[in-house]
Amino acid sequence: MFEKILVANRGEIALRILRACRTLGIEAVVAYSEADRESLPVQLADEAICIGPADARRSYLSAPAVISAAVVTGCEAIHPGYGFLSEDDAFAEVVRAHDLTFIGPPAAVLERFASKEGTRRLLAAHGLPTIPGSGMLRDDLHALEEAERIGYPVLIKPSAGGGGKGMRMVRSPRELESAIRVCRSEAKAAFGDDSLYLERWLEDNRHVEVQVAVDRYGRGVHLGERDCSVQRRHQKILEEAPTPALSETAREDLAQRAIRAVVAAGYENVGTLEFLVDASGDAYFIEINCRIQVEHPVTEVLTGIDLVATQIRIAAGEPLGFSQADVTLRGHAIEFRINAEDPDHEFRPSAGVVERYLVPGGPGVRMDSHLYAGYEVPPFYDSLLGKLIVWGPDREAAIARARCALDELLVDGVVTNIPIHQALLASEPFLAGRMTTSLLDRVGSAAFLAAAARA
Amino acid sequence: MSDTMPEPRHDARPSHRSTASGVAPTGATAAPVGPVPAGRVEHARTDDARAGDHAAIDRLVSELLPAWIARLAASGRGAIEVREDSWTVRLRRPAGGATGPADGRRSTDRPSRQQPGHEGHGHGPTALERHRSARSAAAGTHSSNGSGAPAAMAVGPRPVAAGGPADRRGRTDPHRAVATSPAVGVFHARGDVRRGARVRSGDPIGAIDMLGIPQEVVAPADGVVADILVEPGETVEYGQDLVAIELMTQTGAAGGTA
Repeated sequence: MFEKILVANRGEIALRILRACRTLGIEAVVAYSEADRESLPVQLADEAICIGPADARRSYLSAPAVISAAVVTGCEAIHPGYGFLSEDDAFAEVVRAHDLTFIGPPAAVLERFASKEGTRRLLAAHGLPTIPGSGMLRDDLHALEEAERIGYPVLIKPSAGGGGKGMRMVRSPRELESAIRVCRSEAKAAFGDDSLYLERWLEDNRHVEVQVAVDRYGRGVHLGERDCSVQRRHQKILEEAPTPALSETAREDLAQRAIRAVVAAGYENVGTLEFLVDASGDAYFIEINCRIQVEHPVTEVLTGIDLVATQIRIAAGEPLGFSQADVTLRGHAIEFRINAEDPDHEFRPSAGVVERYLVPGGPGVRMDSHLYAGYEVPPFYDSLLGKLIVWGPDREAAIARARCALDELLVDGVVTNIPIHQALLASEPFLAGRMTTSLLDRVGSAAFLAAAARA
Repeated sequence: MSDTMPEPRHDARPSHRSTASGVAPTGATAAPVGPVPAGRVEHARTDDARAGDHAAIDRLVSELLPAWIARLAASGRGAIEVREDSWTVRLRRPAGGATGPADGRRSTDRPSRQQPGHEGHGHGPTALERHRSARSAAAGTHSSNGSGAPAAMAVGPRPVAAGGPADRRGRTDPHRAVATSPAVGVFHARGDVRRGARVRSGDPIGAIDMLGIPQEVVAPADGVVADILVEPGETVEYGQDLVAIELMTQTGAAGGTA
């Protein structure tokens, strides 16, 4: 096991990794940008080291700065969290070249799964159904031809990265031509790679993902699925498990197929396979996320397994230590992403000083957040302020607890999206378990908020 | 809307615009509060325009900020405003003189978690303050060494003489400018840069070894080397104070005292 780890991320996930290190008896060094000097993970860290200015390209995205920080502080491994360098196989390779361990899949595995398009072909060969799509787009003309072949509407997707950046749904050749330019520049800015591909757009689909953990010795388990169908412009805002979309047998079947396919394809460490589930309940594999995900606590509260600790242990070469039979999923969990966004003004990001911060409590309530009263939310990074995770013995109980918890949660001084969560908990489609990925955008957040205000 | 969602007290746009306060090198005697693109309309801007702004801010910060900080330091005033192309940059001296509560909390002077004061931290600012002061109290006795690091890269407390009150004075002294580290790595001073040596703004005065690649440290202003704040071979973080320069003033007084 490692003695000392560099945490190369910020915000709530830096804090989450720090906590996992503490429980494993590992010393954690938090690498931070100048904008995060006052942040909670920096204050609570065993050690902290400033690696660059606020601009992420010169700090959290700078491989030399991150690796140099690990070397000079005597760390043996780097935990990249999510986003930033977490799925960059070139970074993982440079980390390895400096005799450090990248906490995540080894560079060779990351490289194998780096291209979403290549991964779809690889996992299709191992038995997972995929959505009709294009290969990597060469140019605009190629894109138009491929879109014609697949049939509109199509989704433009960047081959690298995730989180909805560089993604657009288009319904016509004209929309395609203008959107593809925006997607290119977004993908370039976010991931340094502007290669795109197309996928058939499934109307009214649900987003269901399977969490897996595979050790170095090819022993793997699935940890159930999560439903991330509540999205706004391809950004997940609420996740829950089990999915209300599938029967218990269908869920078990999907998870079994997912774990068999990734083990056969040589995956290693924790990861998530994302599927779109259409109205008839058919699931199509879309991509794999080779990192810890924002919504991992949903699985943690259902299984009692610490996913970040598992990730670190696997990277250190330890065997998984438990089998599929040891994994039991208990009850129902919902995660609410608390973002610094103004739901009344098209979710415009907000920044400022958190004047008061009160965390909800009670049975089954967990808050993962780097906030504290007096903290200044910097405007440079994503708007995630924290995650409220609520567990109940069943969905109804979880929803009831979630209502109380959201009412108690107080973030004063920064505008947050808490009202949209309260509105969701009052909306018929959510309560009936019928949310689809496009519903919020189609109905409009304003309509959700207005309906909740009437209720 | 419930009372859990009060109206914002900070409009998102001005907050956004104050971004540059976080861009200031930590060793600066001033923080810029917002390069404001004159007469631009925020909501109608394209991604290209934003990218352009980011590039412009990067350029302003990397090329001109040290000089402005030196100018502010030399002016003896609380704040100055500089116009550059379509940008206005306002620099102000931090309240109370110090650079803020973060001052002095660096990797290099942090106690390890075995130090007293680590246990039993609570939440909220009061607990954090306690936490913090317990740590700084313990800092003086700390001497952990990075386990895998060569001896030359010793990670330990900064010398009290350099990191203590004298350093603080340097930060607020209008007659001083401080060269800060451009990278995280290992500091090497140039052989001819010693106390009393004359330097001109932009002169290379040392380098940070970042994974074997030297990152040049340059003098932020014309003057005389007053203090070299870190030992050669010492680990430094980004923005850390390295070399204090006594500024050349128009009367030439600073040069005379060195």
